[in-house]
Amino acid sequence: MKKLLFIWLIINVSIVLLATKIDLNTATLKELKTLPISSEQAEDIIDYRYYTSFFKSIYELREIESIDQVTLNKIKPLVTVSHYDDQDETAQRREEIYYLIERLGSNEGLQEGMSDVWEDYLMTPRNINKLNFSDILNLPNASPIDVAAILNRVNFGDSISSYRDLRKSPGISYYGASNIRHYVYYEDKPLTQNLFIDYQMKYNDDPYPDDVMDMYRETMIRYPTDYDSSAPEIKKQNYWGFFNMQNDRAAVTNKLRIRYQNEWKAGFLYDSPKGSNGIVNSSTEELFKDSKFYVGYEKELDFQGKNFIKLYVGNYRATFGEGLVMENNDYYSPRQTGYGYNKRITGIIGDVSRTQEYALRGFAVDWKRKNLNAVFFLSQDQKDAVIYDSNGNGIFDDDDYVLSYISMTNRFTDDELESAEDFFNSYSSNDNIIRIAPRRDCLQENIIGGHFEYSPWIGTHLGVTGYEATYDRDFVVPDTLRALLVPDDEYASEKWKITDAEISSMYSTISPEIGDRNYRRVVGFDWRTVINNTSFQGEYAELEVDGSLGKIGDDPKALILSAYSQFDNLYLLSIYRDYDLEFDNPYHRSFSESERFDDTVYEKLTYALNNTLLSDMYLNSVQPSAEKGIYFETRYQFNTMLTITRAYLDLWERKSDARRGVRFEAKLEFKPIHQFRIRLRHKHQIKRYDNDQDRNESQADESEIKLLCYLSNFDRIQLGYVYTRVLQPPYLSILSDPALASGPDMAQASTLTHGDMIYVDYTHNFNQNLKVIGAFSFWYAEGASFWDFEDIELDFDQSDRGFKYWFNIHSRIANNLFLSLKYKYKQFLTRELEYRKFNEIPEEGEYYFQRVERKENIIRLQLDWKF
Amino acid sequence: MKKIFTVLIMVTLTGSLLAYSLLERETGNYTGSLDPRSIAMGSASVAGGNRLLDTIINPGNLPLMPDKLGAQFYGGLITNFDDRSLPMYNSFDAYCGDATYVSNVHPFEQLAGGVYYKHKLSNFDVAASFIFHPYIDFTSDYLEEVRNNANSDLNSYPPIIAKNYIEGEGSIDAFSVVTAVKYKEIATFGIRFSKLMGDVNLKRRIIWSDYSFEKLDTLLTNTTNTLERDFEAFQVQIGTVINIDPRLSLGLSVTPGIDFDVTGNKDGIDVEDAVYTYFTSLDSLQDVIITDSLTYAEYFAPLTFRAGLNYKPRNIMRTNFNLDVEFVQWSEINKLYDDAYNFYIGIEHCLKNKIPIRIGFNYQTNYCLNNHSGLVFADKVTMPAFTTGTSFTFLENFIFDIAVEYANRQYETLDLFQDSYYDYAALWSNYNYLNLQDRGWGNPDTVKETFFKIQTSISYKW
Repeated sequence: MKKLLFIWLIINVSIVLLATKIDLNTATLKELKTLPISSEQAEDIIDYRYYTSFFKSIYELREIESIDQVTLNKIKPLVTVSHYDDQDETAQRREEIYYLIERLGSNEGLQEGMSDVWEDYLMTPRNINKLNFSDILNLPNASPIDVAAILNRVNFGDSISSYRDLRKSPGISYYGASNIRHYVYYEDKPLTQNLFIDYQMKYNDDPYPDDVMDMYRETMIRYPTDYDSSAPEIKKQNYWGFFNMQNDRAAVTNKLRIRYQNEWKAGFLYDSPKGSNGIVNSSTEELFKDSKFYVGYEKELDFQGKNFIKLYVGNYRATFGEGLVMENNDYYSPRQTGYGYNKRITGIIGDVSRTQEYALRGFAVDWKRKNLNAVFFLSQDQKDAVIYDSNGNGIFDDDDYVLSYISMTNRFTDDELESAEDFFNSYSSNDNIIRIAPRRDCLQENIIGGHFEYSPWIGTHLGVTGYEATYDRDFVVPDTLRALLVPDDEYASEKWKITDAEISSMYSTISPEIGDRNYRRVVGFDWRTVINNTSFQGEYAELEVDGSLGKIGDDPKALILSAYSQFDNLYLLSIYRDYDLEFDNPYHRSFSESERFDDTVYEKLTYALNNTLLSDMYLNSVQPSAEKGIYFETRYQFNTMLTITRAYLDLWERKSDARRGVRFEAKLEFKPIHQFRIRLRHKHQIKRYDNDQDRNESQADESEIKLLCYLSNFDRIQLGYVYTRVLQPPYLSILSDPALASGPDMAQASTLTHGDMIYVDYTHNFNQNLKVIGAFSFWYAEGASFWDFEDIELDFDQSDRGFKYWFNIHSRIANNLFLSLKYKYKQFLTRELEYRKFNEIPEEGEYYFQRVERKENIIRLQLDWKF
Repeated sequence: MKKIFTVLIMVTLTGSLLAYSLLERETGNYTGSLDPRSIAMGSASVAGGNRLLDTIINPGNLPLMPDKLGAQFYGGLITNFDDRSLPMYNSFDAYCGDATYVSNVHPFEQLAGGVYYKHKLSNFDVAASFIFHPYIDFTSDYLEEVRNNANSDLNSYPPIIAKNYIEGEGSIDAFSVVTAVKYKEIATFGIRFSKLMGDVNLKRRIIWSDYSFEKLDTLLTNTTNTLERDFEAFQVQIGTVINIDPRLSLGLSVTPGIDFDVTGNKDGIDVEDAVYTYFTSLDSLQDVIITDSLTYAEYFAPLTFRAGLNYKPRNIMRTNFNLDVEFVQWSEINKLYDDAYNFYIGIEHCLKNKIPIRIGFNYQTNYCLNNHSGLVFADKVTMPAFTTGTSFTFLENFIFDIAVEYANRQYETLDLFQDSYYDYAALWSNYNYLNLQDRGWGNPDTVKETFFKIQTSISYKW
């Protein structure tokens, strides 16, 4: 009887206990304290739940230090775990797309400002069934053929209901669909949250690149040639020493973006490039002038059909067609095809990128309706420019002419520049004083422009783009240009290169042909049509000089034509471009092999320039070079194991000196198993002149093999080897006559430089919230150079030999707070070693130098707060 | 016409939070945070410090220590890499870079420690502690060899002409009493009283070599300059930590500026206070030459105001995120200086095996005097630092913290030992080719400094 009673009691107690099991994810401290555990253990459970994670299983209790197996066994029957997650829908969405945001971030250097747009659409996708052609085309890796395939379905009355359904769209590529799917939804909005705020802070203490340092270090103290003395050996003889630039503070960027749904958008950015004052020390006026901000409104309105309106006030980006007429950014990108990773976002978007010189500030409206699209924009902004003492009064004043826009690496204030110039001039004779210089915000630019597009059927459009920029100063390329740029001495003609035609053909607002005007007008038309699996597009533009706007062919012109064919495992892209030398449109950003002013005195003869700061004209040049050429690109997947990931061939001629170039690059990936890949790359480039009296052929080859192994938990290790070989002729024109007794001080034969580099990098994921990437590379270059793609940037490694290592820690602190901290150490022998070898006679040397290695310590910090 | 003018500038406590640099050999270095846990988190601890030595940054952290009795002992090893280079010119007389002519690597050590007791009284936690720690450190070390310019064809180095030394020792130590109170889990308030005292010696020596004495026996004498000073002051610091909610705390601390009493002697001559006097003149190139000498002055530490937050998100690794901003009122001390903001940021992730990984970053602003175009002004010297660290718990109550900090900075300064001092024809092999003039500010030294710190502590609670 007792036994039965005991069993009855046990059953009852069990029923009661089972019925009132304590849920670890919802229990209060008081409830937990009813369990057979100490109050400290109960508090630890609350702590774990609050600061670490909700419980997914009872056994997770063992993660708590104070709870051992005995305790767990004791309370196991008394507790339960319900499904509970603290992540709201926004956090979940961010979790889903986190790897994509990381990928966008790693490419941001190449896609200045565009990654923000894509990130917004990742967070708040748009209904694919309501998007128009340019909306979809502006997404990464979406081709016109993919877009036409989608719209043909939607227009037919069909509705795309899922990704699987999207894949069934006739003509769409796998790559297109798989990329588009992250940026769109089909039936139900994935998020109900409407307000999004993103804050980002970036700190970067990268040193100035070598070519920039060279520019600032060239001496500015120019004694007259007949002066019987050498320039004084003082560090302040150049801008570097005068402004003590080696102590320049790091670059810091603060960016804030606010978005309500996909309708209201606002942004603010203050970029303090290396050497600038920083946001804390800037005056209110500087803050207003140098910051970027916008407020935008985008809305679909029903007014006699569907209308889509975009309004932007403040800074905005405007890009149309192939970028012949208008694409405003400060960053040059070679071979920007408009496809794949070299995409351009057309239309109007808010701009909080670091673009400063070619920023547009004002008002823009974009209206789309069925098959019409009209854009109108106004901008009023002050630009940095190169001015010269055109009126000969010995000072730079408001009446002086402008030679060109300029993106200054370090935007010194006018007061700073004047003090430096006064100092340098104090050493010079009257003939040698500085008469040309960059000035900050010295050019008032007012732009009025627009774009009109008509689309008769899906995939086809005809568009017209034009703008007029009016200025408060005149642009004049003087007859005495050479003397203005380089000293007018006996060597001047040798310093002046054939390529300098690119400088002398810049746009003037005053000339005998056109008279006196205060504007620049550029007009162009673009088109696209998709036929089956091929898209044909192009743009033609003219800069009004002495012709008529309404007449084609009478002004400097530029033309680009392209065709893109898409198959299941193959695409083919062909581009033809032809840009006139005189087509000097500062907002021209279309496809080209090199930037404007390549090989001119701005690049090659910094030391000879009357003002070395003019080298920025090349260093930060963003307009394409005037060239004519044809480009082919393909990707072909043989099978799942073997793919030509990208191969291209470019044949072109530079207009300024008829130099011809061939560039070929191919990348091959072999993937015998999913976790292991071998990647091969080879680049071959030849540049040659018909007239070899000046310079002869130069050749460059680069080969790379990379072994990539994916480990568990998304860890990966990569080993690589690069070999590079450059054969180049000497610059005969700058050498002295070999027949003379003094002789040349450089070799006269072609010179071969070659070098190689090995590297290894490793990515370790501690878990989904903490990742470390580390890399090491060593190179022996003998003067050759390498581009090294690090995780979030491109690094340029050159010099004789050196090594570097870096690591980057990515931490997801909370669902909405991200931090990445990178440290890089780089050590290499500089070319100074060779200067000393050639120029210093040990017995006569004043100083004993122990070594000339250069060491660089670089820290980068990025903090993102998204809520 | 040569202009000669004088600028009087008060000696200031310069703001480097990393010690042992020649830049601050006379003004000393504020040692900053001494807790390896917060150092590993970029020294951000005004709100999130939970070790005893964090009370140096904010006394309001004291009641956050675990019950009841505890102690922390700290030992740090700091290595200073000091590379000095001079401007180099190519055959066109154009500046083409800097060549390092002397490298110094010197390790230094640091010790600190303290005990605390915390007691619960109703809704209040009351705590008190006694801490000993270095507050300003004057330790420095420098060796430079001056060598003959003979070449080394015979597989030998050129003979040494002289060796130059700078040796600093001593520190201003703080004997601190901290008291603090916590009300429930809402807020804490703490106050630190510190007696600051220390004696500091700085020695500058030029020792001629046997080779030089052989050449110029009667002319040469070794030079030794000394500066001996005793410092004394009293300091008060107040701080608070306010818990906005269980995830977020805010911390504030204020340290008013203090004026030290300084006594001592320079080369054997007594001085009551210490001041820098800068004599500046223009040389033939219209470039300013500054010669400095220490005579009379006041010695200040500036007011600092530090605010920060501690955020504890829900993360699969238990996580602490600290962020501090420090305001230093340099302008109160010297009109050439601007007020500065220092930034500290750090994260602590506890991995599943309970081992924390800490990483951090800080960015501090310091000043050094410089000149361009004939004007003396203060150049900002900024120093970013990368930090990391971890800790181990053993025997339940012992915690061993370790932090590694890496920082670097660069600044220009005058040649420490000017060339004209060695201008004796007999000492040099090719004297005709030499031009042993003082380089002045026209050709200053570029100094690249790297600091590598390994800092550890043991904490124990009873």
